[in-house]
Amino acid sequence: MNKKIFISAIPLLSAVLSSCGNTYNYQEHLDDYVRTMKFHDQFNVLQLTDIHWNVNSSTLASKRYLDKVLKESKDHIVATQGNGAKIDLIEITGDQFMLANTYHVRTFVNYFEEKADEYGFRYAVIWGNHDRHGIYNASWLARQFERAPHCIYFEPDDNLYGRSNFVINLTEDGTASTATKWQLANLDSGASFSETAVSPFRDYDYIRDDQVDWWLKEHEKVGDTVPTIAYYHIPQDDNLKAWNAIHNDNAAYKHKLFKLEGFADNGDERFASKFIKEGRNHHLKAAFMGHAHNVDWTVDYEGVVLGLGVKTGTELYYAHIDVNSEDPAMKEGLLSVGINENFDLIGASLVTLRTGEDFELEHLYYNERATGDFAKWVRW
Amino acid sequence: MKGLFDRSNYLPSEFERKQRTQSFLLCLLIIVFFVASSFVFFYTLYSFADIIGSIVSASPDVAIRDLIRNVPQFLLFFMTFWTLLLLHAAFRKVEGKWEKSIMKDAICIIAFGTVTFLYIIIMRIAGTYLSLVEGSPTALYPLDMMIYSILFIALGVCAILYMKKWQQKWPLVTPSRGPIAKKLRGLYCTFVAFWALFALYGLSGGTLTIFIYDFGSGHDFYGVMLVLAFLMSAVTIGFWEFGYNELKEEKKKELLLPLASISLCLSVVIAALYFLSLGLDLDAPSNAGFGMLPVAFAASVNIATLLAVLAPVIVSVVALVKGLIARKK
Repeated sequence: MNKKIFISAIPLLSAVLSSCGNTYNYQEHLDDYVRTMKFHDQFNVLQLTDIHWNVNSSTLASKRYLDKVLKESKDHIVATQGNGAKIDLIEITGDQFMLANTYHVRTFVNYFEEKADEYGFRYAVIWGNHDRHGIYNASWLARQFERAPHCIYFEPDDNLYGRSNFVINLTEDGTASTATKWQLANLDSGASFSETAVSPFRDYDYIRDDQVDWWLKEHEKVGDTVPTIAYYHIPQDDNLKAWNAIHNDNAAYKHKLFKLEGFADNGDERFASKFIKEGRNHHLKAAFMGHAHNVDWTVDYEGVVLGLGVKTGTELYYAHIDVNSEDPAMKEGLLSVGINENFDLIGASLVTLRTGEDFELEHLYYNERATGDFAKWVRW
Repeated sequence: MKGLFDRSNYLPSEFERKQRTQSFLLCLLIIVFFVASSFVFFYTLYSFADIIGSIVSASPDVAIRDLIRNVPQFLLFFMTFWTLLLLHAAFRKVEGKWEKSIMKDAICIIAFGTVTFLYIIIMRIAGTYLSLVEGSPTALYPLDMMIYSILFIALGVCAILYMKKWQQKWPLVTPSRGPIAKKLRGLYCTFVAFWALFALYGLSGGTLTIFIYDFGSGHDFYGVMLVLAFLMSAVTIGFWEFGYNELKEEKKKELLLPLASISLCLSVVIAALYFLSLGLDLDAPSNAGFGMLPVAFAASVNIATLLAVLAPVIVSVVALVKGLIARKK
């Protein structure tokens, strides 16, 4: 009898363990990965990154800071582009949470929904390595974003690496039936992985080949000449290559802003992504990411602008910029921004898309101060 | 091995029904507070991991700010854990020591509770807390911590009142144990404390995994093994502390070796299957459930996971060695 029960339990166990579900082939469902918005000249994309709500955060204080950054951004856009201009889209590029729970997620989504109503923007959410790192089920987190009316998010049960990869096509009338003017590619750059089962350390993840192939197909569908900007979380090895080319080989790439720590990329040639290299040949104009909080260094690397967004808020860690510092990296950054007072490297990044292939990039450094807040915009 | 399932081999069974009821209720309370402690410990670990993250990222100012903000959360762990110790002291009832232990534990609980309560009020007045319900890790934080502190103070006061007044009316009649050998007491207590922490981590991690692991995302073999590996560390402490230790001395000696062998086999098999599941699916932890592995994920190292998985193996090896030495003697 016991033997019978054991044997009959094997297929049941196998079914539970395999749990293939209805995984579909992304190549047969390329349209599913497309979201659309209406494009207009001076389309404003505000990047917030590494907000890092966690069990130690004061959500009240953090929301107060976000309120100020959004207001400052809106005021700046109106001041530079005229009345009627607004934040059109917010790209939240990963690590919204780290060591957080369901309370943080619900509060976060409710906050952005409320602000989306107030400011008239939509927001897209990208996975960071730490977003998988909380007291909630990752699928539950995804559902919160999927259900939020103003949130742009897509997470299919597919054979494509990463939880969520999708493109936002900015079209003439906001529907898929008209021409795409710009494409925004949102990629899940993963988290980390062990090289072996007993490795003492973990490697940072990277954009895998199938994700690159998927994006190339999505790009091909709208026309290979459509300019694209990519948003993801973990820098790929191209950032470091560009940095080394400038600092070791005197390469004459345009570059600016701060690099006060490593890029925290995979750092291993075996795991170098082909994304930027392929993108260069397919009208990828820029790639913006987060992950390394003390870095917002941006470079035009052989036709593709690579830049880390300014970390948003004071959670976990951030850099204090000291005008008297002897650190060469700090000096180099300060020289490039022309600011003559101490400040913290936190705020947001704004990309303004123009008709054609041009875009403008500005970094906002926003610090709360008892004597009056510090707000500086630096154009790249 | 038959002796393990024979109630007459256990200490409480020799006593009256009232004594057995008391033992059962204490055991139940210990389980309740063990589970509560494990979840509070998990949150404490989360908080601690974030603070360590700030320190290693050269932001001590952020670490200090977060530490100051989260003192009540850390104190909640101490209050819960000390209650567990108090209940354990009552359960073990070590001859000539248990009354003092309970009084000491109760005073500690009251002290932690009072400090928590006052700390929140002072920090609110000082403006560190923008509101009594400023949020995170719960919507009611830090007000909820104030409520918990009042409850724990009440619990500590009740324990003292029991020892001073109520004991004569309702005596604790559970069986007494002999004291731990003096020369090994320090080592034993340190070992048990570390073991208890792993067990707390294991129980909370294992239980939470069931709810927060992303089953159905193609990484289920690893998920099942993660749950088993975590629970194994909690089960081993539960078994050795509340099962084996309740046996009569002669039965303990008789059963140590066979029980240690079974424990070792089980823990080795589970550890091996855990590593196999990870080896087959290296992307599983970060894609489906790294919430249970805060230290591992925060610092990009696997050491915490390795230790959690290997702890039951180490415990079993120690038991086996003890069994072998006892047999030789």
